[in-house]
Amino acid sequence: MKKTSILLGSLLMLLSISAYGQTNDKLVSSKTHMKFYSHTAVEDIEANNYASVSTINKGTGEVVFSVPMQSFEFEKSLMQKHFNSDKFLDTKEYPKAKLKGKITNLNDVDFTKDGKYSVVVEGELTIKGKTNAITEKGTIDVKGNTIKVSSSFNITLADYGITFAQGKPSTNIAKEVEVTVHSEYSAE
Amino acid sequence: MMKKKLFKIAAILAVAGLIIGVGVMLYMFNMPHRDIQSAKVDYSLTSTQIVSEYLSDKDAANEKYLAEDGDSKILEVTGIVSKISEDFNSQKVVLLKGNEDKAGVSAVFTAETNPNVSNLKVGETITVKGVIRSGASYDEDLELYENVILEKSDIIQN
Repeated sequence: MKKTSILLGSLLMLLSISAYGQTNDKLVSSKTHMKFYSHTAVEDIEANNYASVSTINKGTGEVVFSVPMQSFEFEKSLMQKHFNSDKFLDTKEYPKAKLKGKITNLNDVDFTKDGKYSVVVEGELTIKGKTNAITEKGTIDVKGNTIKVSSSFNITLADYGITFAQGKPSTNIAKEVEVTVHSEYSAE
Repeated sequence: MMKKKLFKIAAILAVAGLIIGVGVMLYMFNMPHRDIQSAKVDYSLTSTQIVSEYLSDKDAANEKYLAEDGDSKILEVTGIVSKISEDFNSQKVVLLKGNEDKAGVSAVFTAETNPNVSNLKVGETITVKGVIRSGASYDEDLELYENVILEKSDIIQN
């Protein structure tokens, strides 16, 4: 009888600790930067987005980015219109893109110790309603209460149903686009 | 004689056409971004109203507010300042959110309009004009409610 109550008690304690831990493990960031960069012999095009929302879970290693597509800003307004149109990203139909992944080497990261940690994120990227598996490298920078995540990788536009067979876009936009991601989380 | 004159007219017309054509192309290519602050307001509402509109029917709200070419609706949103922060582009971000609401309206300012936020205090009620970029919804991967995003914002004086 005594044994079971001790067991129950410790189980309850464990449960409450893990529940407490869970709520505390997830960090939220709305301070983000996402950049698309396309390089061709004809021209370089870039678009910047500062409005994504991201979460990172220190306990499970889950990383999520939700990207409002109409927040991508181009230098030329005509390019921005093209980007949003149904021929390209169709942002009215698909207002958000999503990156959802998990850090595969979470054991290498010590969120309590300052330092830069190389991580591998495995997951899925959804753009224009099409989802593809991705495995990309990134860096987690821990400094006091601030955690910064950064990553840079290439995506093939055709994988997301973005194709242009003719005209200016086919010569001026690269088939592979570089995506750069930055986000900053602070433990409150 | 007559033939020569005709040829001359045709040549002038062709050159004029070319100049106009190139001019239009250059104009299209270098067309400036829409000036949100001097454009007409499409809808005036409170942060609570637009959030509840999005949370009750996201698709209908997107249909109403988002434009296919990205030149989406220009809104004047009134709400309570619940948070003031800054993004990676040094732009001020003011969150308008009702105390009972699950989400709010995140108004992103610009380098030009940033100074107008400097005296702002949490708890004040203000009206902000800007262009909507995306709506509010619950995201099951983030496990939280996302705010309506308004950009190119400025405070409207009443």
